[in-house]
Amino acid sequence: MAIERLKTGNSNLDEVLHGGFLINTINVVMGAPGTGKTILAEQLVFSNATAAAPALYLTTLSEPLDKFIQHGQSYAFFDSAKVGETVFYEDLGAMVRERGIGALAEIVTEMVTHRTPRLIIIDSFKALTELIETAQERRTILFDLASVLTAYQCTTFFVGEYSGEMMTELPEFAIADSILMLLKQSTGVREQRFLRVEKLRGSASIPGMHAFNITDEGIVLFPRLLTPDISPDYTSNPERVNTGIAGLDDMIEKGFWGGSTTLLAGPTGSGKTIIGLHFIREGAVSNEPGVYVGFQENPVQLSRIMLNFDWDPESLIKDKAFELMYRSPVEMQLDSVAAELFNRVREGRVKRVVVDTIGDLKKSCADPQRFSDFMYALTQWFATKNVTCLLLYELHSLFESPQITDEEISNMSDNIVLLNYTRGVEMARRVRIIKTRGSAHDHREHALQISDSGVSIREIT
Amino acid sequence: MSSPVNSHSSPDIPAQRALILVVERNPAVQRLERFFLEQAGYSVEFASDGVLALARARELCPKIVVTEILVPRLDGLSLCRALKSDPRTRSIVVLVFSHLHAEDRALEAGADAFIVKPIDEENLIDIVSKLLEIRRESTGG
Repeated sequence: MAIERLKTGNSNLDEVLHGGFLINTINVVMGAPGTGKTILAEQLVFSNATAAAPALYLTTLSEPLDKFIQHGQSYAFFDSAKVGETVFYEDLGAMVRERGIGALAEIVTEMVTHRTPRLIIIDSFKALTELIETAQERRTILFDLASVLTAYQCTTFFVGEYSGEMMTELPEFAIADSILMLLKQSTGVREQRFLRVEKLRGSASIPGMHAFNITDEGIVLFPRLLTPDISPDYTSNPERVNTGIAGLDDMIEKGFWGGSTTLLAGPTGSGKTIIGLHFIREGAVSNEPGVYVGFQENPVQLSRIMLNFDWDPESLIKDKAFELMYRSPVEMQLDSVAAELFNRVREGRVKRVVVDTIGDLKKSCADPQRFSDFMYALTQWFATKNVTCLLLYELHSLFESPQITDEEISNMSDNIVLLNYTRGVEMARRVRIIKTRGSAHDHREHALQISDSGVSIREIT
Repeated sequence: MSSPVNSHSSPDIPAQRALILVVERNPAVQRLERFFLEQAGYSVEFASDGVLALARARELCPKIVVTEILVPRLDGLSLCRALKSDPRTRSIVVLVFSHLHAEDRALEAGADAFIVKPIDEENLIDIVSKLLEIRRESTGG
């Protein structure tokens, strides 16, 4: 029998939790101050509270109730019209100060019978329980509280500034049916936020660290990219995908296989971005919409390049034939890029993707193994969705590169196209196909020229 | 609200100190409100929840009730509705003074004015003073 779940108000978090929290459970949201716990709890409250299922937000001793209201109102999800109607804020801390922590279960019972909530937040639960003097008393008080909350039909969240080691020491973690940890990680001057499901009793979840941002909308979460399950009805695409560069298509049997991943590696100025734009533009005029993900050139700069070739990027963008998706590499989160791309693919809008460059993606990830896993999952995901992908990679050497990439991305790629320059005064551009999986190719080096009409490729005689 | 008729900085302290009932659960906020209102020449009483406030209003008949929305037992908007629907308390001016941005809801509940916290003492006193002036004009004394 499927167990009813409480949606979080955040579809990506629901995905991580395989549908949401189980209802009528006790849950812990933990993390250091400033990690976003209260925002998450308030999002939960405002997305779920209805007249038939009100929510009760109990503040304690970490912050005055007024601060919750003051800060909460700066987020789009906070609906002040719901306060006092379906969302009830109460100062539990004041009542406990008045009647003693020993009366906690009794006070909560009174509130539950008064408001009949289906969702209860106690924030901060840790600050409240710091009033308890002994471990034995803590167990008794928590047992009594848990008894009330279990007896009554409601889903409860204890929010607190707990650290990881407290999970093995404090009884609330034994009581909890689920535990969510929010944390901040610093790499140099960069800081990233992550959410991890430490425990989810009675349900699977997506494991690992999920990046999130706090925006005006509240918490925006990006589920960690995992290798997709290969569906039994998944078959490879038998169609060829043209690059828009006749000479290049000729070198690879009239184009790459649909749904394949191609690594396009070359030094600066060798033509990577222009080939990428050819690829996207060819899709745009062939009813194969695409996304060009750029981390260095913004849409204005990319449009200018296209205009130089007499292409008309504005009308193609207007027709949704392609999109220039620019993301600043500063403060970028790896999974946020994947999440944005996947949303577009799920909407059925995207058949081609260019990533310019994967070196910029790599810089956003401190863990090389995680980056390698991410790229593997990304390429597999595109393959199963029949999205043909071009990954641009910048080589440091202008003339030759003993190793194309550090992260075994060449192994993950179906095709590898290498660009470089000839030595000598002329420094002519060259292109060579290193590998095409499941296809023959012309392995000879060819000349690559960039003119007013874009890239052209010819044999070297 | 428009500019006050009487400024709190005016040396003309009301001959008879107008009584204000403040409904506020937070003792720290109570202390600040008492200070500013008394300094401006008003007499101040407190209630820390809505139920108590309703009883105190009936008992004391203050000139103004200044209420936070987020108070226990009976919220400030319900208190306002209760005061305005009871002939004994209908004439009491209600000023809703809250952290919650709920001006429309406050006015719908029958409040005479709404201001948002945190406390801006000049604004608070100006509006209290103006509301009292309007009340005097409407009641003729």
